[in-house]
Amino acid sequence: MNNHEAKFRLKAYRPGGQDAGAAAFCEALAQAERDPALRAWFAREQAFDATVAAKVGAIVPPAGLREAILAGARVTPRRATWAWPAWWWAIAAVIVVAFTFNAVWRSRSDTVPLDSFSRFAIDDLRLGHHGGYGAAEGVLETALTNPATHLAGVLPIDFTKLEATGCRTLHFAGHDVLEVCFHRAGAEFHFYILPRGTLRGADGPHMLELGGVSALAWNDARYVYAVIGQTGADTLRRLL
Amino acid sequence: MGITAQAAASHPSMGEDTFTLLVDRYYAALYRFALSLARSQADACDLTQQTFYVWATKGHTLRDTAKAKTWLFTTLYREFLRSRRRDTRVTSLEELPSGESDLADDEIDRVRQLDGALVLEALGAVAEAFRAPLTLFYLEDLSYQEIAETLGVPVGTVMSRLSRGKDQLRAALATRAQGPQIVPFPAVQRRQTP
Repeated sequence: MNNHEAKFRLKAYRPGGQDAGAAAFCEALAQAERDPALRAWFAREQAFDATVAAKVGAIVPPAGLREAILAGARVTPRRATWAWPAWWWAIAAVIVVAFTFNAVWRSRSDTVPLDSFSRFAIDDLRLGHHGGYGAAEGVLETALTNPATHLAGVLPIDFTKLEATGCRTLHFAGHDVLEVCFHRAGAEFHFYILPRGTLRGADGPHMLELGGVSALAWNDARYVYAVIGQTGADTLRRLL
Repeated sequence: MGITAQAAASHPSMGEDTFTLLVDRYYAALYRFALSLARSQADACDLTQQTFYVWATKGHTLRDTAKAKTWLFTTLYREFLRSRRRDTRVTSLEELPSGESDLADDEIDRVRQLDGALVLEALGAVAEAFRAPLTLFYLEDLSYQEIAETLGVPVGTVMSRLSRGKDQLRAALATRAQGPQIVPFPAVQRRQTP
């Protein structure tokens, strides 16, 4: 270490002696001990620094500052910029909630539950007491009974009107479901209508047979349908 | 109990006594540092209070309480940087000359005779990049390593800035030690009457 380097380091040496044990200064201090010129320079530097430090240290804070800090005199503190993350956290929370809600919603409405809807219809046939009334239901029942009507075609369905005028209404997975009974060729069938709402379409139709009861479910843009009967799966397919 | 103290005491890791202890130990040094940065008593008070307010609300997140001192100085410096409008004037630190002239004995004597306010004024004349480490150095609370940590610069940079800052301070002190310049009136040339 030459004197230039030693001076560079010793300029960071505090005049109060707080850095006496710091390893970074050992070599420079040792060199100052050996070199009289460097020692004299260092003594003057320390004297200058001690003088300035004393002057700076003599500056007295205004009366009342300490009390003001302790008392929180500034009742309405300036909004610190570090407070901004709270807003970002709030926004982030909203986004997370929105994504979670969306994910839950999508999971609930992932696909049309054709199988469970078919099971629901079969159970209703076994357990339910069927019956309904109303003009709208009469129109729909007439259409369903007509051998020329394809159930997968356009049917006279006004869900709200049917529900309001006495068509039998059930509940499936939180949704209202209409049920209409009809006959063809002496056989009894039951037709179920579930509004699609947010349900996404599924590949269909879906056939299910349980205990001698067949159920065929499908969907179009507006509704999920199921038709059940006890005359076999082929009979149901021909209804479509 | 004040708002700040209440906020401090509300944290389980920091009671009101601890907060008061910190205030008593560091508020004067923080104020001096703030004064050298802001060059205004009101702004310095504001910065000091703001620093303790930040401590009262965020200080509990500091795991190593031994770092409280550095934390406070760092916070004050950051608050200062945030509060001031950035000067568009950019000084390339590398372009500033590094003085190599040695101190003269009478230079030290002149500084001794100066009022503390004038010394602080001279400190305020030092370029800001040098002023912050230089003030921290003269406050003697922080080592050069802690200054580096406080200001977020490498240790070598602190040493370099201390060296250059001292040169600027000496120049500023020399100007103040000379006192106001007396500019003599030019001699009035009297018109001779024949």
